[in-house]
Amino acid sequence: MVMVRSIIRPEKVDAVLAALMDAGFPAVTKVTVVGRGKQRGIKIGEITYDEIPKEMLITVVPDRDKDLLVKTVMKVARTGEKGSFGDGKIFVSPVLEVYTVSSGVKETPETEAKAVAV
Amino acid sequence: MKEVLAVVRMNKINETKKALSAAGIGSMNARECLGRGKGLVDFKMLAGAEKGYEEAIAQLGQSHRLVPKRMISIVMQDGLVDRAVEAIMQANRTGKAGDGKIFVLPVTEAYRVRTGEEGDSVLDVL
Repeated sequence: MVMVRSIIRPEKVDAVLAALMDAGFPAVTKVTVVGRGKQRGIKIGEITYDEIPKEMLITVVPDRDKDLLVKTVMKVARTGEKGSFGDGKIFVSPVLEVYTVSSGVKETPETEAKAVAV
Repeated sequence: MKEVLAVVRMNKINETKKALSAAGIGSMNARECLGRGKGLVDFKMLAGAEKGYEEAIAQLGQSHRLVPKRMISIVMQDGLVDRAVEAIMQANRTGKAGDGKIFVLPVTEAYRVRTGEEGDSVLDVL
């Protein structure tokens, strides 16, 4: 299993969530964050804004679904044809174990696939 | 060392804290978040929950039906992971969809800012 953390523009959240639902990734956790990127924030006149509001979407999926998930987020979260600075970043990290509290079962890629089909 | 990342119900956070302390895990980091699961929750049941259930009220105005949750993050030694998972499960299980998920992630390094020391000694003692 892998954890995909996408940091995206707040105004793109609704579109990305809808796209993820359509692509078969209903389970998402959203956290409001602030941050800056390689451009060192936004400079308007004398003032530099280096705490730009973003939303972080956290999704845990089986390894084989990772590419589809990343592609979906990438396509929808991009602004304009070629994209622009501030569209965000996607980080993928390994997850060793996944548990569901309500049933107490340890999830495997197989059980996850079954649940999505429901 | 490993990071245990648990997403649980808002109203279970105090019980979870107590359970973790009882299991010998003192340090934790929690924050509010919104989320949705596999969609197994019947939201029609919550339509009548305007009588004062905070969780229900909060999500009624939400597009995409994101439910308020608490996210707990704890970095611990490998040996403590099973105990922590068990404690969180015990404290949070109601048996209904929406109880939450627990993820275990690998952590390669940990530092204590105050002293600059590195490794297992910066974490809870086993």
